Amino acid sequence: MAGPQLVNAKATTGAAPLEVRGVTKLFGGFRAVDDVSFQLPAGAIYGFLGPNGAGKTTTIRMILEIIKPTSGSITVLGASSALQVRQRIGYLPEEKGLYKKMKNWAVIAYFATLKGLSRAAAKRRAFELLERYGLKDFATKPTEALSKGMGQKVQMLASIAHDPEFVILDEPFSGLDPVNQQVMEDIIRDMAGRGRTILFSTHVMQHAERLCDRILLLAKGRKIFDGTVAEAQRTLPRRVRIETADNIAPLTELPEVAAVRPLPPTSDDREGPVAAWEVELRGAADPQAVLQACFVRGIRLRSFNQSEPTLHEVFMRLVGPEAREVAAR
Amino acid sequence: MRFALLVAWREYAENAKTKGFWLGILLVPVIIFFSVQVPLWLEMKGTPTRYFVLVDQSGLVGPVITARVERDYQREVWRALKEYARKYGGSNTGEAPSLDQFINQGGQDAWLAELTPGLRPDAPPFKAPRRAFELVALPSGVNPEAQLPALAQELKPYLRGESHTELHGQDIALNVAILVPRDLAKQIVRSPGATTPTGIEYWSDNLADSRLREAVEETVNTEIRRREYLARGLDAAAVRAVEQTHVPVSSLNPRKESGREAVGAADIIKQWAPSAFVYLLWVAIFAIAQMLLSNIIEEKSNRIIEVLLSSVTPGELMLGKLLGIAAVGLTMVGAWILTLFAVLGWKTAGAVGTAVVTGPILDVLQSSRLLPMFGVYFVLGYLLYAACILALGSVCNTLKEAQSYMAVITMIMMVPLLTLTFIPKDPNGLLARVLSWIPLYTPFIMMNRAMADPPWIDLIGTLLLLLAAVAGALWMAGKVFRIGILRTGQPPKLLEMLRWLRR
Repeated sequence: MAGPQLVNAKATTGAAPLEVRGVTKLFGGFRAVDDVSFQLPAGAIYGFLGPNGAGKTTTIRMILEIIKPTSGSITVLGASSALQVRQRIGYLPEEKGLYKKMKNWAVIAYFATLKGLSRAAAKRRAFELLERYGLKDFATKPTEALSKGMGQKVQMLASIAHDPEFVILDEPFSGLDPVNQQVMEDIIRDMAGRGRTILFSTHVMQHAERLCDRILLLAKGRKIFDGTVAEAQRTLPRRVRIETADNIAPLTELPEVAAVRPLPPTSDDREGPVAAWEVELRGAADPQAVLQACFVRGIRLRSFNQSEPTLHEVFMRLVGPEAREVAAR
Repeated sequence: MRFALLVAWREYAENAKTKGFWLGILLVPVIIFFSVQVPLWLEMKGTPTRYFVLVDQSGLVGPVITARVERDYQREVWRALKEYARKYGGSNTGEAPSLDQFINQGGQDAWLAELTPGLRPDAPPFKAPRRAFELVALPSGVNPEAQLPALAQELKPYLRGESHTELHGQDIALNVAILVPRDLAKQIVRSPGATTPTGIEYWSDNLADSRLREAVEETVNTEIRRREYLARGLDAAAVRAVEQTHVPVSSLNPRKESGREAVGAADIIKQWAPSAFVYLLWVAIFAIAQMLLSNIIEEKSNRIIEVLLSSVTPGELMLGKLLGIAAVGLTMVGAWILTLFAVLGWKTAGAVGTAVVTGPILDVLQSSRLLPMFGVYFVLGYLLYAACILALGSVCNTLKEAQSYMAVITMIMMVPLLTLTFIPKDPNGLLARVLSWIPLYTPFIMMNRAMADPPWIDLIGTLLLLLAAVAGALWMAGKVFRIGILRTGQPPKLLEMLRWLRR
């Protein structure tokens, strides 16, 4: 099986909002993050993927300079420390919480003032955001009056109230219902549309698939993959799903075919049950070659589907039990 | 610094909205107010006039008892008038008469008439104090000549409140009956050891208020002894003169300037006022230490801390918290002290009779260094305990977890309370001096010693040590806070925290 070619982020024009170079974080003897490097192009939506304990949150905390890396260096918005440019960064942490007794507008305004907005501007902005995202009625209620999802929205608003250039969102979708997940996606797209750079971590591959320009996959503290979603899909061999009642043995002899696996038989139709097969292709082989071979060898197809692997499959493959470490550079 | 102030402002604004803060602000002044006011109320209103009947079948002591009760009342009127004259007398207030002069010259009416022309225009009309005891006639139908047991039997329903008698057309309950037996002369005890006769019967269901009983006992015995002297041929005038001889005992304080060593009310207040301030200091520090703790724990358990730390440095956050909560504490303490002054000032200027107590307190507070010392020790004590709390709060995840550690701090803080009353008794003794040099106790113990002129070495030395301790504690708290605040899971072991200090 050919090793998938992973391409590192191409050099972007202009200063990258984030450059992480050879960062390692040790907690005692435990390597939480191990020699991770990556770069964020300006204006991108960057997905930060990985199983639990992969080192995502630790990396994010190091980017924000909440904790310091054991070795390596990080440049954020051109500065060597996030604290120097903290007013231009927005951050939504993984574990969400708000001051229970504070009013919603006051929480948003408080965090905005900590990011450098004047008190009056922060207040104005807080009401504006609450109104725009349908929480106007809760503006003057304490945060404890909110449901979990609404609270998360308020916290999201609090982290972007100062309209930061660079936003880091740790698991922004967890705990949200589908409607609010959509709202969250809209907020993210809206920010990206205005040229903001967004780094978000998630377990949910569909979000990453839909939103991300690029993804970074971490496992056990190490970088497994860094590239576009299409590139990620290309790390898995292409597959063709065929349905036929005929013998498909001849296909296995094709040079383009790596393996043929039976799939559970699908629909019964008039002619009785029909077998389904997954044909895994070798390297960059063209699925058309399979179709042509079937035609040549008289295999009558009931269906022929060419499908790209989902990010979920990529994820499972790369970090699953049989995960192989793919050359990261 | 700007960010530290923003944090401080939020701490202040949010804490100032809590119920605990307002309870704290209001409760202590309410307690101060009531502790000044209630004894006065009890004296003036709480104990209403008590009505008594007096049946003197012997004819020996009735007049002296009524005279004594009247004289006691006249003394109250005289005192009240003296206070009234002092306050509203204006220009022509001469020397106040003695009690005897006052009574002999015509009492209240005469002195008032003398005062009236010179009274200040805003003077309210004089209100004579209420009588503590008032003699009333026997209820109609009760025979004063009956044998004492029968007489007592007849009076019992009145004394128990079951029947009422009349005074000036109003129904009143009888509180006391004083029954003097016909053979009083035979019931005089002349040698100790003989069987004690009943003597005068004092009937009352109130055992707590013994003022009238004591007055009766004292007056009657003085009268009986006077009669004895006369019976033995002694000169009445000489006896009276002898009775008035006495030697006063004066309390003197060796620490005061010579010539002014006399110990007065102000000195006693001076000795005890620091204890009150220690208590205030303790309550204030304890209250805001708790506030600080629950505050940090909230941020930590809600993980708000992470957002904060992406905006401010741990140093700024810590400084902001310290300042914000200190401002809350100062507001609270300020409100307390202002109320104290307001109540004392009002009492001193206002109601008759109370200025005797509140005046000196006010003088002591204004003239001494109690208040500045209180300010200094409050701030330093707060910072020292706050540093401990910050470090503690930063390593705990829940309030419950923190409370078990807080118990240790509370126990350490109990010592100044336990020694609260010992220190003023021996303010420069060994215990006081030793405790003063323990920074955790310096604010409380030195405050308690404030009025006892502690040696300069104690005053300055302990202050310097305290300052050093505060600086050290804040430095250590900063180190622990920085690391602890982001930690989750088990609180660290002490050894581990010590390692943090070296980072």
